[in-house]
Amino acid sequence: MLVNLDLHDARPLYLQIMDAVRRALVVGTLRAEDPLPSVRELAAELLINPRTVSQAYRELEREGVIYVRRGLGTFVAPDIHPDRHERRALARGVARRALVEARNNGLGVEELVTMIREVAAAEGGEPSPLPTPAIRDEEQ
Amino acid sequence: MIRESDSEHGGAAAVTTHHLTKRYGTDTALDAVDLLVPEGAVYVLIGGNGAGKSTTLKVLMNLERPSSGTAEVFGLDTALRGPEVRAQVGYVPERHNPGYGWMTGGRLLQHIASYYPSWDDAYADHLIRGLDLRASRRVGSLSKGETRRLQLVMALAHRPPLLLLDEPTDGLDPVVRKRTLALLAEHLADTPTTVLITTHHLYEVESLADHVGVLSNGRLIAQMPRDDLQRTVRRYRIEVPDGWEAPSDLRIASERRSRTGREIQCIVVGEERAITERLTLAGARVHEVSSLALEDAALAFLPAEATR
Repeated sequence: MLVNLDLHDARPLYLQIMDAVRRALVVGTLRAEDPLPSVRELAAELLINPRTVSQAYRELEREGVIYVRRGLGTFVAPDIHPDRHERRALARGVARRALVEARNNGLGVEELVTMIREVAAAEGGEPSPLPTPAIRDEEQ
Repeated sequence: MIRESDSEHGGAAAVTTHHLTKRYGTDTALDAVDLLVPEGAVYVLIGGNGAGKSTTLKVLMNLERPSSGTAEVFGLDTALRGPEVRAQVGYVPERHNPGYGWMTGGRLLQHIASYYPSWDDAYADHLIRGLDLRASRRVGSLSKGETRRLQLVMALAHRPPLLLLDEPTDGLDPVVRKRTLALLAEHLADTPTTVLITTHHLYEVESLADHVGVLSNGRLIAQMPRDDLQRTVRRYRIEVPDGWEAPSDLRIASERRSRTGREIQCIVVGEERAITERLTLAGARVHEVSSLALEDAALAFLPAEATR
């Protein structure tokens, strides 16, 4: 799993880390029982306060996405079903960003939905859900 | 002053000042500053030249005495308990001159180490390697950036509970700056530490910051957690009728108008929903609301003349 933070995004950094973990689960780069980077490693990699990483991990643990094995590290929960809850959470995020973008351009919901289908059809039928388009959703 | 709800953090404060004022003759360097740095925070204090950043740190180190008001570090009054306070602080001063120019870097570190029972030799070596320092060179022959790195080793290697870093990235090239921030992140993971950083380039340390304070002409005009800062400052693109004037009760930080005057882009301090309502009520159509980089959000608090 690789985490990218967008410092221009007003979403708190710990939420961005949580999203990155969810995304990795949906895309499949992170699977049940996989180890996560330690708080220290991830903080040094992202150049952020370790407490921010701890906060993200704590929230994910509370949601049952990951768990801590004392002295061994942090791991993805064994019974994780990214196809349900996590997929919906991710899709909701993508939809929300698309809506903001549409509104900023003076477009309505129906216009947006119709155009997504048209563009998808023009670009070769059913868009494949995995994995490339799902990863790159950080653009404003 | 705009400030956060302190209760959110609940925990103890590592640094507090109460109406801290410092005058030099008729010059007011600090004007009734109420600083609050929660324990464990990475607090970045920004402001232009002469805003009072360095003076604040010097008072905390008891290198300057307050004209009035008080400063406390871990509950100790800095003016009365200076030596006890300094024993708990790693300080990188504004000036790139640690003195002892005739000593080698390594010798100077040994000298400094003798003052601190908690000095960690192995860790000092680790930092020297991480920061790519050559300990055999004489301090007087070091470049600005090398001196900075040596000062960082001096501040970190005794693992003090508080770091006061005055422009720590000044003189560092981008590669070394990144490595320094990574070492700091690791340091924070290994050692419970509160950090107070001053800079006039917030973007240089932006990723580490979780609290931000803004000093302007000796006054602390805002201090809040990073997330609050980014939430309460937004850029709005609005369409307005001819001759429209912004409501006077809005805190508008910067404004750009299109040639026709019908389109305005402005940065406004306040909750997005309330600001949008207020603008709409005043006859504007809000087209776009976007968030800002942390530095731009912080600059929105400075008086207009300071940002131009």
